[in-house]
Amino acid sequence: MVPGMWVLILLAALAALAFYRFLVGYAAPPVALSVLAPREYATIAAASLATYPRGGAIEPSGIDAGIPAHVDRFVAAQAPGTRVLMRLLFVLVEHATLVFPAPGKGGFGRFSGLSAEQQVRYLLGWQRSALLPRRLVFVSLRAILTMGYFADPAVLRALGLAPRAIVTPVGEADLLWPRIGEPPSAIRHRAQDVTPPAAAVPLGYEGPLHADYEAPRA
Amino acid sequence: MSGEIRVFAQYDRDIHEACDVVIVGSGPAGAVVAHEAAAAGKDVVLIEEGPPFTPEDFVLEGSVSMARTMREGGLRTTRGGFFMPTMQAIALGGGSLVNSAICVRSPDFTLDAWCEEFALQRTTRAELDPHYQAVEDFLGIAPTPDDVQGPRNLLFRDGCTKMGFSSEPIARNVRGCRGSGECFTGCRSRAKQSVDITYVPAAMRHGARVLTSLQVQKVLASGRRASGVEGQVVRPFTGQTSHRFRIDAKVVVLAAGCMATPVLLQKSDDLANASGAVGENLQFHPGVALMGVFLERTHPQFGATQGYQSLHFLRRGFKLETLWAPPGVLAVRLPGFGFDLKQNLARFPYAAIWDAIASCNRSFGRVKARRGTLDPALTYAVHPDDVKIMGEAMWVLAQIFFAAGATSVLPGVHRLPDEMHSLAEAEALRTHDLRASDLTCGGNHVFSTTRMHGDPSKGVVDEDGRCHDMDNLYVVDTGILPRSPSVNPMLTVMALAHRSAGEITRRA
Repeated sequence: MVPGMWVLILLAALAALAFYRFLVGYAAPPVALSVLAPREYATIAAASLATYPRGGAIEPSGIDAGIPAHVDRFVAAQAPGTRVLMRLLFVLVEHATLVFPAPGKGGFGRFSGLSAEQQVRYLLGWQRSALLPRRLVFVSLRAILTMGYFADPAVLRALGLAPRAIVTPVGEADLLWPRIGEPPSAIRHRAQDVTPPAAAVPLGYEGPLHADYEAPRA
Repeated sequence: MSGEIRVFAQYDRDIHEACDVVIVGSGPAGAVVAHEAAAAGKDVVLIEEGPPFTPEDFVLEGSVSMARTMREGGLRTTRGGFFMPTMQAIALGGGSLVNSAICVRSPDFTLDAWCEEFALQRTTRAELDPHYQAVEDFLGIAPTPDDVQGPRNLLFRDGCTKMGFSSEPIARNVRGCRGSGECFTGCRSRAKQSVDITYVPAAMRHGARVLTSLQVQKVLASGRRASGVEGQVVRPFTGQTSHRFRIDAKVVVLAAGCMATPVLLQKSDDLANASGAVGENLQFHPGVALMGVFLERTHPQFGATQGYQSLHFLRRGFKLETLWAPPGVLAVRLPGFGFDLKQNLARFPYAAIWDAIASCNRSFGRVKARRGTLDPALTYAVHPDDVKIMGEAMWVLAQIFFAAGATSVLPGVHRLPDEMHSLAEAEALRTHDLRASDLTCGGNHVFSTTRMHGDPSKGVVDEDGRCHDMDNLYVVDTGILPRSPSVNPMLTVMALAHRSAGEITRRA
């Protein structure tokens, strides 16, 4: 066999391994997603549950709180360049086990395929790392997950932090431009709708919740 | 109303218009100039890249709100020595739409230092006070009343009093605040007097044309004269461009912000940069925050977003403030993971978060244009002496917390305990050999990338904001501050813009 052939075979084998590791074997997500791929969903779902397990001081888990679906919406809302960086972050978390393996058997495997205990210990390793870039990756990931956790009204209600209902006064500016994306003909208010400015009456602790944050009726 | 505002849905062809004064950026500074120039009878076009927001467009959830109102989706960061998130708004009204409405005059010692170190003659207390006053009167700026402070702001006052530190209610541009703590996602009470609902409509009453969703990509110039700006229409939130536009003007005013203005000049064939100072000397107010936990409920989501402050340590290089933000954003700083993290989050109802912004006058960075985008490359490094000042600021905050009755504080500093239960433990904030990389900072006040200097070889603009190299090109955003204003910059940059407006109007 020609010596160069061995190199080609080796490269082909590596490519096949990389293909298998990076793309194959991810289950279809249980929720409809707009931009995230199944492999990204798997990473985020695993990290959500490791960061926010069910029970404890606040009942909902990261999955109960819908973090993966929120992250999907958050990534979709970003400009293309930022979106790429966020997706690279997810790839890094999923596959950095090759460089920083999780403790225990199979620690070089994909993050989403590790046991729950290994996932927790792997992420703790990033949190406590002496290497600033590793800590930054952890902080960035946890920030995205945490904002998703608090996007769940049930979490805010559990903490008593859900926004209250507010009657928004109508002012001169409300006659000038429409909601974003609409033409001026869609401006809802007319001069006769203008109301006095809000009185400086503090919101009450027990006031009604904003409609989007009310508990669903049984 | 004799002026007009145009939104994305109205653009169906290329635009080519002319005016006396074109202003790029509708934030606090740009809006002031637009109003003053229009009121003086000039034909004004105010350009804004972002859309105008109605209250129905506000989103209460922090991350989505940031993605809609901030450049780079709220994920912009510095690099090169210090990793720090920094947010710049993209919306009609700029930062005033989503800031906490803090209005503070820069102290005498800061203005004196500016004059002495940057060869300025007219940026004095006596010169600026009438301009401060004009803006304060227009916006109804007043101290936050006690009845909308909420417990977490009043605890700060009490702690400062017990420690013997001066403190005062923060003066803000609000009318009818109800203490919803929602300044950062847009004021649903319409109480915040952001410039999109104040100065911009007032400019329109005097005939100003306000063109939103236009991204200025180049300042047009020949020799020492600017002749206008050009760029493209952009669809809100997407960056997708469509029709082109060009606005010809007798005077061009850049108010795009401390990050965007230098990039625009660099992309305009390195305009107005004989000094080499465009994009240089970038300074921040890095902010550090502590969470204190109390025995009683603090109801932290109620009360003015930032209602109390202490200027006691300004000369030492930091200012102390109370703080609230969407919980998901605040929680980013909390320590812990898994059940420990949940335990910390569950203390929010009993917590207060107070922050310190540091002047960091020894720390510098740079704004550079990147290929294929108007988003800047930011580098910034914090001087070790400034890190010490931030450590001292955290130590002072810890003292105020314990004086106010907190049972513990959570500093969020790497290599220090997650939670400190006594002053003795908290003293590590002051004595520990802190490194910049130990800190979790945010830096939303930015300055000096087109700094004002009396010597044209050392700065970009003169005291009226006119570029030294140009006859009719002005910069009025926070980039012109020679260095940190020591306090929140909005009021100072509006006062400077008010002063510049007189000269701009004469020039047009």
